[in-house]
Amino acid sequence: MKTDELIAHLSDDLTPVPAHYVGRVLAMGLGLGFLLSAILMLAAMGPRPDLSVAMEGGAFWMKLAYTLSFAALGLWMVERLGRSDTSARRPAAFLLVPILLLLIVAIVQFYQPGIDRHHMVMGDSWKVCAIDILTISVPAFVAVFWALRKLAPTRLTLAGAGAGLLAGGIGASVYAFHCVEYTAPFILIWYTGGMAASALIGAGISRWALRW
Amino acid sequence: MIAAEAQYRDWMLAGLSGDRAAYSRLLAQLGGHLRAYFARRVGTDAEDLVQETLIAIHTKRATYDPALPFTAWVHGIARYKLIDAWRRDKRRATVSLEDAPDLFAHDDSEAAGAKRDVEKLLAKLPPQKRDLVRAVKLEGRSIAEEAEATGLSETVVKVTVHRAVKSLGQELGQGMEGRGEN
Repeated sequence: MKTDELIAHLSDDLTPVPAHYVGRVLAMGLGLGFLLSAILMLAAMGPRPDLSVAMEGGAFWMKLAYTLSFAALGLWMVERLGRSDTSARRPAAFLLVPILLLLIVAIVQFYQPGIDRHHMVMGDSWKVCAIDILTISVPAFVAVFWALRKLAPTRLTLAGAGAGLLAGGIGASVYAFHCVEYTAPFILIWYTGGMAASALIGAGISRWALRW
Repeated sequence: MIAAEAQYRDWMLAGLSGDRAAYSRLLAQLGGHLRAYFARRVGTDAEDLVQETLIAIHTKRATYDPALPFTAWVHGIARYKLIDAWRRDKRRATVSLEDAPDLFAHDDSEAAGAKRDVEKLLAKLPPQKRDLVRAVKLEGRSIAEEAEATGLSETVVKVTVHRAVKSLGQELGQGMEGRGEN
């Protein structure tokens, strides 16, 4: 086929694009990801038994704010990197904000007098936390990658990392409704670890999963 | 491309709201820029990359953010297609080495080899293209059915399948040459 013919074909094919296409696609991926991950968490683990009590305290909300901030920054990265030639330097740099804030809280908690420091860092569930976050993230991972494939990522590794971060943020936020840990050092290490692993996996499979 | 930014962006915005005249003018202009861009970088396959990039611009047009420079958006896609082609070539070059034991493990007269070869060829396409070719060319589904199933327009399905089959043909041609040299 000649290029002139191709251009004629493509022009004939032209239909107006829906307004806010990228936003809609991402909203769909995000909604689907949260929904499916929540279903998986409820089916496989169940919410923490003392959820209503925990929701009255600050630790639960600190944990949720931390994981949601990762999801939000991941979403921002995906929104940028899904549009061909764009940079995600700003959202990536903003990741330092929640990390540093939580680090401050973690240091304050850790140096409180008369506290069981080992338990503060390891909790009762350090062995499963990061793995569980990854597991809960799987449906969100699929939904987010499905959405990103509809866009035009041209830096696949970065876009994959952003998508993995978003999926990990969703998974960790959902997992926060199951997990009873409440100390800042625990969240800083194990929650961040789970979400970072998700981002790494996203970057690792990007060449294969995002190619178009 | 920079001097033309304002004009191209206007055409693109008109195209996004359905103005075919502006859109085809834009694609023709971009075709010229892309031809020069790819010719300097790949040589013989330049026209293929021009077409592939035009199709990509068309199918991904909704991802253009009007707040950002249009030429940068086009450049991002062109660069992506260029790098993708380089990677494909590199893989092609290394495949011949990895295939060395395979060359003697099978005889070309085997009829069963044909089916395996088709699958092997298909594996070189990106997943979406592969599924389209398989559905239309192997499973005998119609262009209209596939358009319905994938949400792409019939033209895009038709053009994509046509181009994918063509690229597989070239792939096959190069594979044969490689074998001849051995």
